[in-house]
Amino acid sequence: MSNATNSGRALPRAGFALPWALVTPALGWTLLFFVLPFLAMGLSSLTAHDGGGFTLANYSQFFTDPSYWRAMVNSLEVTAIVTVISVLLAYPFAWILAEQVPERWQRLALMLAVLPFWTSYVVRSYSWLLVLAQNGVVNRALTSLGLVAEPLQLANTRLATVTGFVHFFVMLLTLTIFANLKQLSPSYRKAAADLGAGPIRTFLHVVLPLTLPGIMVGAFLTFVLCIGDYITPQILGGNNELLMPQLVMMQIGRRGDFPLASALSIILMAVVTVAYLACARWLKIERA
Amino acid sequence: MRALVRIASWLYALAVYGFIFLPVIVLVLFSLQATSFPIPPFTGPSLRWYGAVLSDTRLTSALVNSLLVAVLSSLAAVTLGFLSAWGFARFTLPGSALLRGLITLPLTVSYLIIGMGLLVLFNWAGVPKSLLAAGIGHVVINLPLCFAIIYSQMGDHQINIERAARDLGAPEWKVLLLITVPVMAPAIFAGFFLSMTFSWDEFVISFLLTRFDTTLPVEIWNLLRSGLNPKTNAIGSLVFAVSIVLVVLFELTLLRRKPA
Amino acid sequence: MSMNFTSVLKTHLRAATAAAALLLATGAQAADLNALIWCDHADPALLQPFEEANGVKVNVKEFEGTGAGLAIVEQSQPGDWDVMVIDSIDIPRGVEKGLFEPLPEDKLPLADLFPEVKMDGSTVVDGKRYGITEKFGYNTIGYNKTKVDPADMQSMAALTGDKYKGKIAIYDYYLPVIGMAALAIGKKTAELTEADLPAIKAELLKMKANAKLVGEVTASQTALATGEVDILVGGGEWVTAGLAKENPALDFSIPKEGAVLWSQSLAMFKDSKNKDMALKFIQYIMSPEGQARLATSSCYWGMPANAKAALTDDQKKILRFDEQPGFLARAQSYPAPTADLDKKMQDVWTEMLQAQ
Repeated sequence: MSNATNSGRALPRAGFALPWALVTPALGWTLLFFVLPFLAMGLSSLTAHDGGGFTLANYSQFFTDPSYWRAMVNSLEVTAIVTVISVLLAYPFAWILAEQVPERWQRLALMLAVLPFWTSYVVRSYSWLLVLAQNGVVNRALTSLGLVAEPLQLANTRLATVTGFVHFFVMLLTLTIFANLKQLSPSYRKAAADLGAGPIRTFLHVVLPLTLPGIMVGAFLTFVLCIGDYITPQILGGNNELLMPQLVMMQIGRRGDFPLASALSIILMAVVTVAYLACARWLKIERA
Repeated sequence: MRALVRIASWLYALAVYGFIFLPVIVLVLFSLQATSFPIPPFTGPSLRWYGAVLSDTRLTSALVNSLLVAVLSSLAAVTLGFLSAWGFARFTLPGSALLRGLITLPLTVSYLIIGMGLLVLFNWAGVPKSLLAAGIGHVVINLPLCFAIIYSQMGDHQINIERAARDLGAPEWKVLLLITVPVMAPAIFAGFFLSMTFSWDEFVISFLLTRFDTTLPVEIWNLLRSGLNPKTNAIGSLVFAVSIVLVVLFELTLLRRKPA
Repeated sequence: MSMNFTSVLKTHLRAATAAAALLLATGAQAADLNALIWCDHADPALLQPFEEANGVKVNVKEFEGTGAGLAIVEQSQPGDWDVMVIDSIDIPRGVEKGLFEPLPEDKLPLADLFPEVKMDGSTVVDGKRYGITEKFGYNTIGYNKTKVDPADMQSMAALTGDKYKGKIAIYDYYLPVIGMAALAIGKKTAELTEADLPAIKAELLKMKANAKLVGEVTASQTALATGEVDILVGGGEWVTAGLAKENPALDFSIPKEGAVLWSQSLAMFKDSKNKDMALKFIQYIMSPEGQARLATSSCYWGMPANAKAALTDDQKKILRFDEQPGFLARAQSYPAPTADLDKKMQDVWTEMLQAQ
């Protein structure tokens, strides 16, 4: 970081105007279309739906009505399950791609692993519905193999929502963890081996700690994207329970109740902020 | 032991690949369904639903809209991101860390919340819903990404090249256009490409901020809500095919230029 | 924080985004017709003949329920919209807000409508006609007749009994299903008050305990068509008719407790800049050809309000056209709650969704 300062000082011809001219458009955009909307939403959340004045009713609705805060509990549960499962599935996979697959095939292997990213997001959830349906391919396979007598209820459950989410985030996490593993210099491992550490100890004491920041970044991304997603639970969950984004969209879709939707969004955002603070030390963006 | 690890690795990798590809295979297979339900038994192959998609003007115009929004919003995001990254990396600005934090802040916020905020703001300000409004939202989500990617790649190596150019008397704009942009091209391109991907696939912001003309994910959502139909499979498969072609082109152009 | 502060900030926001507003205010062109619709009107097979005949582009925006529809109108500029599809019983709500333009009765085929669905109590306010019913049907019990005993479907008790536990889906729209729950406990849908909600909620929770899913149009259709469930609470011809070709085993019944009659109307906006074209559109939809296309729209089928709709005999059979008089006699109106009761009904619905 100190180099940035040095090079800044080393620019005698750079006046005051140029640096600000460079950063102002981005800052202005963020202020106008991110900070200001957020303030507007905050203000809106404190007004009554029928055009009345100041009220805390939108927030008290959330905290007093069990069916409302139940949505937050559901969201947190689903997000936590998804994050843990995705990391546990993706880490070994990324490790195999980085360590076991021959160098020249690695790019192809990685490309294949994230290829389904490029199906439309909405369509991806929908195809899981087809896969998990009563007479979808999974149930057909299970019954014809004689593993189950009756088709299982897979679609329209929390399990389906989690499956849809995990599918997406395994791909995402494989990418971030793979990048992380590749950045590890082989010399670390060699050094560990030279010091007499076996492969397992090398992994536990060298590789895992060094890739932890990458895991945390991926896990945080998973958390943010998962807890704010409307499509996956709406298509796959069968409305057997509501998650926060569904509750927010319901207020807009059914009644045009922006104040209540705003209040719920802000509560959701507060939860994400807490998660951010918990991971903050891994999330710094540094220059190479 | 080593062989065992190898076999276990292969099995595990195959299982994960299977999981990852299962919905894609089902999607594409049943897009070729001859009858009206995209569930087993398979009755195709038939191209009937592809014909239905291509003759549906709402879908085809939504596809064009999506491309337009993706390209333009990504251009805006990458331009703003690059300029600010350059500014922050090269010059000492008061409160730099704080301001950088501000620019990357939208990364930590759900799309739903960004969309809601813009919806409330635009409502109050009397700004009608439109593709442009959705595009503004897409710049909000992609600007921090472009900034972070480009900023993180601005290393000392680049600084030294720039310094050399300045020492040779090049004016600032020349340094920017002839030195910085080409040197940073991979990061700029990566930022642009990622932004395109996210914008192309973004649903909730477009859903909240557009009216008649809308983007493809929203139109697919409308299609989905109107009934179970292999047409959804067909449009999904088409989007997939187009994306794959783009990814492959991207890989080929970017990789071929890289010195071995 | 006072309202005063809010309004000051609003003014500032307006000023701050005025430039942006100008940029964005491309709006719709004069030659376009802007319609706020339900998904059945988005079918190209319905719109294209009209667009071609009149050289006009029909822009459509789908919405879900009157509350959301009116909210969209309130957030738009006057003149943004030309026509709207709305629940017949909700037309007075729009008239109250001063949104709609009276329709010329002499230019519409009112005489051809099924008398029971003209619904003059709602579509005519203060002697002026503000809406014309275009399509109707029933929220009742949809089922697969090869999987359930049709005799059981003659009573709503089947929905809460043990026999079909886990074989039931509930259509995810609160008004009609709350209406059905009211019928099941012997209430009249037209007379619901807040005092009825606890009993209705209890009935809904019993249905939920039996249900595998609560789904929107697609999810519930899919579940019924693929055998995931055998019964759809709130279903009717709008689910079974469209699927009749693929799955002829799907059917619906009007149980002894009755069914909820849904009825959608067309209304014209007072501020429309294109009233001639708007009227032409309404006339087209109400014409025998328009009615047939609307009735068999790809999104969902339903009975045409115009008895002269140019349907084929097959289509009529699927819609059970000839049985309508008997059905209509037993159907009750769609619940039309006040804004306050509406909010409470939605909260009851949310509770039902969240119940485990």
